[in-house]
Amino acid sequence: MQGIIRTIRDGSGFDILLLGLALLYLIIFSAFPIIYNIIMSLQTVDMFTLTSFNRPFVGLQNYYDIFSQPVARTIFWNTVKFVVLSIVFQLSIGFGLALFFQQDFPGASYLRGLFLAGWIMPALVVGAIWKWLFAGDFGVINYVLTSLGIADDRIFWLSDPNVALYAVIIANIWLGIPFNMILLSVGLASIPRDVYEAAELDGAGAFERFRSITLPLMRAQLGAVISLGVIFTLQQFDLIAALTQGGPADSSNVAQYWSWQFSFQTYEISLGSAVSVLMIIFVIVVAAVYVRSTRHEHSY
Amino acid sequence: MKRYVLLILGLAMTAIYLFPLYWMYLTALKSSTEIFQYPPTFWPSDTQWNFLEVWKSRDMGRYIWNSLLIATGVTILATTLGTGCAYVLSRVRNVWIEIALFAILMMQVLPSSLMVTPIFVMFNQIGLLASPRIAVILAQTAKVLPLYIVLCRATFVQVPRELEEAALVDGSSRIGAFFHIMLPLARNGILVTSVLIFLQSFGEYVYARSLIAKNELQTATVGLQTFMGPNANDWNGIMTYAAIYVTPILIVFMLLQRRIVSGLTAGALK
Amino acid sequence: MLQIEIDHLNKHYGGFHALKDVNISIKQGSFVALVGPSGCGKSTLLRTLAGLEKTSSGDVRIAGRSVIGKPPRERDVAMVFQSYALYPHMDVEHNMNYSMRLKRRPKEEISERTRTAAETLGLGNLLDRLPKALSGGQRQRVAMGRAIVRNPKVFLFDEPLSNLDAALRVHMRSEIRKLHERLNATSVYVTHDQVEAMTMADHVVVMRAGVVEQQGSPLDLYDRPANRFVAGFIGSPAMNFLPATATENGALVLDNDSTQIGLNRHIAAGCKFWIGMRPEHLSLKPCVNDMAIDATVTGIESTGSMTFVVLEVASQPVVLAHSGRPETRRGDQVRLHISLDNLHLFDRETELAA
Repeated sequence: MQGIIRTIRDGSGFDILLLGLALLYLIIFSAFPIIYNIIMSLQTVDMFTLTSFNRPFVGLQNYYDIFSQPVARTIFWNTVKFVVLSIVFQLSIGFGLALFFQQDFPGASYLRGLFLAGWIMPALVVGAIWKWLFAGDFGVINYVLTSLGIADDRIFWLSDPNVALYAVIIANIWLGIPFNMILLSVGLASIPRDVYEAAELDGAGAFERFRSITLPLMRAQLGAVISLGVIFTLQQFDLIAALTQGGPADSSNVAQYWSWQFSFQTYEISLGSAVSVLMIIFVIVVAAVYVRSTRHEHSY
Repeated sequence: MKRYVLLILGLAMTAIYLFPLYWMYLTALKSSTEIFQYPPTFWPSDTQWNFLEVWKSRDMGRYIWNSLLIATGVTILATTLGTGCAYVLSRVRNVWIEIALFAILMMQVLPSSLMVTPIFVMFNQIGLLASPRIAVILAQTAKVLPLYIVLCRATFVQVPRELEEAALVDGSSRIGAFFHIMLPLARNGILVTSVLIFLQSFGEYVYARSLIAKNELQTATVGLQTFMGPNANDWNGIMTYAAIYVTPILIVFMLLQRRIVSGLTAGALK
Repeated sequence: MLQIEIDHLNKHYGGFHALKDVNISIKQGSFVALVGPSGCGKSTLLRTLAGLEKTSSGDVRIAGRSVIGKPPRERDVAMVFQSYALYPHMDVEHNMNYSMRLKRRPKEEISERTRTAAETLGLGNLLDRLPKALSGGQRQRVAMGRAIVRNPKVFLFDEPLSNLDAALRVHMRSEIRKLHERLNATSVYVTHDQVEAMTMADHVVVMRAGVVEQQGSPLDLYDRPANRFVAGFIGSPAMNFLPATATENGALVLDNDSTQIGLNRHIAAGCKFWIGMRPEHLSLKPCVNDMAIDATVTGIESTGSMTFVVLEVASQPVVLAHSGRPETRRGDQVRLHISLDNLHLFDRETELAA
């Protein structure tokens, strides 16, 4: 006992205690649920077996079931579109803004800070605002589009199955721009000025400097931002819940929302688990790539 | 001259980006007939102050109280568990620490919407859903704790190791050096990170929606979602609700913006 | 009386053997310098004394009691860090008396001793400043004050002057030495600067790659270096080395040259040596018991009071220290006079003094 107190006061027992508490918590509430999730995805879990500890084992039947659902295809492609389009636009708009605010003009960093308002707001509230912006009859977006002559007629953003997914994507891009912009700004600021000055003396024009200095030096940063973008896009749930709830007729549904619908709306919990297991594996693979990419940064 | 052209461009871009926020406040101030005017007005003709009314009729006090309760619980739990862990991860270097750090980075990315299924079943089986706000606190802490640890670790890394060693030589125990030297020096980073996870938990939706059954225990996000309903058209009220809810968040954020940004980027990229 | 005894001390970092069988005895009241190139283990040894590093095997005793496994706070040692490690959130006064506050000494004693220490170091009017409002030299003094206020058994210094500019560094050397004498303390001082070690310490320990190469008084190391490394490390400019081989008749022949150097001692024929000559024992003029060889002047560096003449002897560069200004130029052919009494010989295989 004396020895334990002593090592906690003065030795490595202190480290083990501090580290152990947090890790124990994460093992109970994060790692164990993942394992439990895998187990449930191999069982039949529904309203009747919910509280039971002895549930029928069905092997890969749940995985077979989700892939044989007719909407599985739609949801798979929706998820791909949701992720790819969100990232392409978040990244390019975010990068453009980062480059723009990198220039020297009064208030540049202050204005850049204002963009972050979009990032800190609860996604559900952002969803509510966009739902109102997107409103069919009285929405301001339709008004702007028709009065500028871009659209001939009102677009029913949230109730037209052909556009609902794109409406969600637009709102998600709006949410993701600030994060992309800030991370890329930090990367841009970390490129030393003298590298540009050297290139200018070597005769490189503005575009050439961007292509031969900015892009290569930002590669690690861009890799990190893209991986984080995939991760955050796959976390997006609140926005869908607020805007379309996956509808109409699953036309804007994506995997993470689908998983939740199985578990909490139709109570086919084992199907929800199966979708969730697949997505978690994917997210973890992306995260591993991200962690690796941040370890191999330039020394700047 | 060029600088002012850039400034005007910058102002224009910021204005376009922040238009949805403007529209929220504008709608909240318009009368319920004015919001359905077409073409819409871009400045309220007849300003309405129905904040108090919405607060009362939507029972916002209770929702906000529940959100505050959950956010406070999460912040206390995460700072208590995470600060020490972040400190150890910043100080000790060996294979086990590398593995622990990697595992924590992985747990940082687990989406709530995917974790909620096993957590729901697990909590249900051990009877935790009987106290659903505690259930949400526990689940949300597991969600934000890795982020808290990663960001705090970046703060501790900046405190020179010699300061702690000087304290040990001066006659301090490990515990004493942690509380008297390390914590005061990492205080700013810890505070900013705590505010960040508080704000995130204040806007939590998935766990509250899935784990809390009773309406009177629900959070402000779920309250807003119920308000929107399937055939909502009280957009005036909804936007008022949204404005009341996010204004404090925006104010806190704007005050701490610089620090949050530097802490966040340090954690995400290092 | 021995204040510190380091007994067969070893330290491993994973597969790296950082300290190899170190044995050092330090008397009460002495000033010991640990010196060596970076990475030689001198700082590790100091940190082991402080209790900041664990040991792998061997024993360390302070005032007769083994301190292995004891945390720093139970060792009664004070340490001055290279970066000073002043607590940025405490003013000078609280930086200095943190250790006494930890020991819960009476208030009067704390303020009394803090004031005395501050006055000793000329910090009297800075007590309420934060470290960031101090100059480099003042910070260094506060770090010293933090150590002396405790009146510890042992003072440990980890390159305390390396962040100061040259003039201040020379000044602080003598200050530290004076302080040491006044407090009658036992001090262990780590430095990579052999001049600092030579001028400050009573006992110098030269380390390389975790091994104690030689220890003794400064002049002992200068006059009788135990091996080629110590000979080259101690003394500035460094000792010159010329490769040579022993002949049948007991003389040495320089490699790449036929010059013979006669020695009045017995050496086995065919053995290969380094001949070590300190720059100050070479001359362009004849001196007592010398021999002269041909050399070419390839460079002249003057500091004003001293002139270093770079010569080429048997295709090897040799530096000569000349006080004053010699009348010679680049390209001159000169006779180099070597004082035979001050020659050092090192076996080329073992590098040990022969």
